Amino acid sequence: MFEPSFLPVLHFFIRKAVQGVLLLLITSAAAFFLLSSAGSDAFTSLREDPQISPATIEKLRASYGLDRPVVERYGRWLASAVRADLGESFYYRVPVTELVLARFGSTALLAFAAIGIAALIAVGLAFVNVRSQSRTLSAITDAVILIFASTPRIVISLFALAILVYGAITSVFWLSAISLAVPLIAILLAQFNQSLHDAMSEDFIRTARAKGLSETTIILRHAFRAAINPALTLFGLSLGALLGGSVIVETVIGRPGIGSLTVSAVRNRDIPLLMGVMIVVSIAVWAGNTLAEVLQFVNDKRIRSAEAE
Amino acid sequence: MSKNTQKGGLSIAAKAGVGLLMCFGFVAVFADFLAPYDSSEQSRHLPNAPISTFSFSNDEGSFSLLPRIFEAKMIDALKQAYEADLSRSASVTFFPKGYRYHLLGVVPLERHLFATNSDEIRIHLLGTDALGRDRFSRLLAAIRFSLIVCTIGAVLASLLGIAIGLIGGYSGKIVDTAIAGVADAVISLPAMIVILAARVAFPLELPPLTAAALLIGIFTLTGWAEMTRLTRGLVKRTRTLDYVTAARISGLSGGRILIRHILPNIARPLLTQATLILPAFLLAEATLSYLGVGLQEPEPSLGNMLAAANDLNQLREHAFVLLSPAIVIALFVLAVRLANKGIAKNEDRKTA
Repeated sequence: MFEPSFLPVLHFFIRKAVQGVLLLLITSAAAFFLLSSAGSDAFTSLREDPQISPATIEKLRASYGLDRPVVERYGRWLASAVRADLGESFYYRVPVTELVLARFGSTALLAFAAIGIAALIAVGLAFVNVRSQSRTLSAITDAVILIFASTPRIVISLFALAILVYGAITSVFWLSAISLAVPLIAILLAQFNQSLHDAMSEDFIRTARAKGLSETTIILRHAFRAAINPALTLFGLSLGALLGGSVIVETVIGRPGIGSLTVSAVRNRDIPLLMGVMIVVSIAVWAGNTLAEVLQFVNDKRIRSAEAE
Repeated sequence: MSKNTQKGGLSIAAKAGVGLLMCFGFVAVFADFLAPYDSSEQSRHLPNAPISTFSFSNDEGSFSLLPRIFEAKMIDALKQAYEADLSRSASVTFFPKGYRYHLLGVVPLERHLFATNSDEIRIHLLGTDALGRDRFSRLLAAIRFSLIVCTIGAVLASLLGIAIGLIGGYSGKIVDTAIAGVADAVISLPAMIVILAARVAFPLELPPLTAAALLIGIFTLTGWAEMTRLTRGLVKRTRTLDYVTAARISGLSGGRILIRHILPNIARPLLTQATLILPAFLLAEATLSYLGVGLQEPEPSLGNMLAAANDLNQLREHAFVLLSPAIVIALFVLAVRLANKGIAKNEDRKTA
């Protein structure tokens, strides 16, 4: 029993690890070459200052190793990156790894809150929808999906800012989480509503009905289990989208996190910091994908063993 | 089923979407005509003025169809608070002469849809911004500028994505795997962070037109991947069909088969996907410009107009006015989605 189930698992993790390393290499190389070859760095703006001579700027650049060829610099960056050393931020003067991880933690918390909100609303509405079979409710759900999907985060977060200014709601964390969650609610609700609906017409539901179980039990115990799979995949995949969304939400509302850190790195042309952000975001995206596949695999197995009983 | 749907007509929602999109197109073309004032004309007397006060009664107190506009008078320069001066008014006129402009860049005109009959008492449908510029006129110009930039970006990104996808779908395993790998990597990363990183490679402060060109370039380079994935899949499905095999047997070159035989048959889903790129770019433009690294002043764009909402005191006073570009953005995205959904459904029905 151990041998045949262990091998595919090992194979899966090796495949995911190779994918992760490739993703990191592609992202870091592309970002590094693009950012270095364009010929402007943190010292570019100093050139406009008449009090600083070009020689001083060159000396400064040399002290950071910026006068070396790009390939050599990427090699060095990569060599220290594998030791989890991403260099020092030009602007904040602290190690990039430390800064990025601290801010990432803050955004991850926000992202989990957003996922929680989205899951609660999506699952709740889908359940009520399938349970009641009401046409009005179904039309409302469709409208919610459409409106939530087409209201961009920049619009939502600006309105959230207005709400904060008026003082109607004062929790920055929850307003940010809601702003981050809105487009996700639409995606999850659309997906879960559809798959729950599909699951209700499956054979095993008819069997459960024949057994005389109540409709609520059937939905919660049987249909949910079958419908949850695509939703689980979405959770994993949404991590990247949430990190992207945090750029706008955190900047507008003014909450420190990986998104506002990215914007500050852009404004200060802090290239080591930006590289750090790219790496952490790539790792998070990869981890999200892997998690989604693992969850899906576990759930599949549970369904299969439940069917075998 | 109604007669309309049998004929393959669009649903009401889809029609509303298409109609809204046509309105946006109309505004983009006739922005100068619809705007009462020059979008870059400043007024030191009227910074952050509120929406003009108006009345539908004339001097004698009886009703008139054309409203009168009352002069906005600053009562507190520090707080920039205004009060309507009810003794001074001007009436709204249609087709007055205003600033000169070129319709579609060629037809010289100086007539506008509306303004007031006085140079001093002006109509500000959305008030003025911090430099005293008419916000309504700026909003119209912003819609035009943002739409032009995003449409060019969407077209270029789609073309690049389709080209790479065609190559990937039709070439050998090594090239195809490489293309698929890079495309998947680009898709999996958050687009906003990738676009920001690409933006840093260039000087942050740029003149408006250079910035527009740069934004189009960045959108093209970061937005192709989704299109490539779709094209690749469609080509792979199509290349094994009989008519393609027939074309190959008759000795046509690979390029010719791709362009003349495969592309026309997969054009519709590609077009549907291309329309979805447009709102994504509009949002990216809005975000970058809001952050101050996209389209820059004095040229108005939907994003850089939103930056005014950073002034929290102003936001408290005039939330609706400051967020009007955000409402426009939301309307545009909604219109594209409605139209896209309706057209996609229509296609399904036709092919089914």
